[in-house]
Amino acid sequence: MRTLIIIPAYNEEKNILRTLADLKKYAPDCDYLVINDCSKDGTKAILKKEGISFLDLPVNLGIGGAVQAGYRYAERNGYDIAIQFDGDGQHCAEYIHALMKPLESGEAEVAIGSRFVEKKGFQSSAFRRTGIDFLSGLISLLSGVRVKDVTSGMRAVNGRMISLYAERYAQDYPEPEAVMQAGLAGAKVAEVPVQMREREGGKSSISPMKSVYYMIKVSLALILNRLFAER
Amino acid sequence: MISSKLQIVMLLGIVGYFVILFILLKKNRLLLKYTLLWFFSGIIMLVMTIFPGILTWVANLVGVYAPVNALFALFFFCGIMLMVALTSIVSSQNERIKRLVQQVAILDEEIREMKEK
Repeated sequence: MRTLIIIPAYNEEKNILRTLADLKKYAPDCDYLVINDCSKDGTKAILKKEGISFLDLPVNLGIGGAVQAGYRYAERNGYDIAIQFDGDGQHCAEYIHALMKPLESGEAEVAIGSRFVEKKGFQSSAFRRTGIDFLSGLISLLSGVRVKDVTSGMRAVNGRMISLYAERYAQDYPEPEAVMQAGLAGAKVAEVPVQMREREGGKSSISPMKSVYYMIKVSLALILNRLFAER
Repeated sequence: MISSKLQIVMLLGIVGYFVILFILLKKNRLLLKYTLLWFFSGIIMLVMTIFPGILTWVANLVGVYAPVNALFALFFFCGIMLMVALTSIVSSQNERIKRLVQQVAILDEEIREMKEK
């Protein structure tokens, strides 16, 4: 199966090469595509110098728009599996194959790398955990899909879901909505236990001050998604 | 009834408004399809100013004591509707721009690949 690993990167000059080296070590059989979301630092120069294949967004689209560009690329080039993998060093490449397994066997259409199945590695703060649990419950209630780590940006999807995400993908804070979309499309979602690292360089896209706005925005988006879903 | 002084001031204001619309349109700084929105709201304001009787009737109908307040409420409502319309235009443009940016990035990658070969 042809697999594309989509790596969104915004100002990741410190982390991107380490992330790619990690991926090459554990998943040498996959193709990689870094999405440079109009980085202001030397990310693009590094990608060019190292001959890494990348999309260069001419204006900053934010994480959702960047990842969607990757899905559109995957659709255009006929990939069977697309895997989202953060460029900031939080995700561990040794789990890539575990993530692909449920898709290859056809037992699921979406596989999410989850920190909370085995509760190992970096677990996020209690404050954030509460928020994530709430969103997880909301998604379960609205779409019937039970996923613990709904904010995980480590996700493998099959061809049908690639087309779905290429067509529609939330622009900011897209992860919970993506899980919801998969559930509403009737896709089976598997949760694969992974460990994540605490970020080393760069800063989180969600500051504590923004989390209230985040919760309201995402909850509203999920409810609207459900209301407007075509069944 | 609204005072004839207010009527004259508003009439002048609305004429000025139409002149601005016309100039922008002539300089190609406004698309006709968006101008219609503003044009119609101008027409409504104009009719209300010239025939204040309609205003008195509307005020009585919805239970506003002073017709001039009904006028202000109407302008305010027009303003809100225009803002919703503008937000909707911005949103659809946002989606279009996103698509274009993604497509440009994909084509850019393909060109780089071809040049290498």
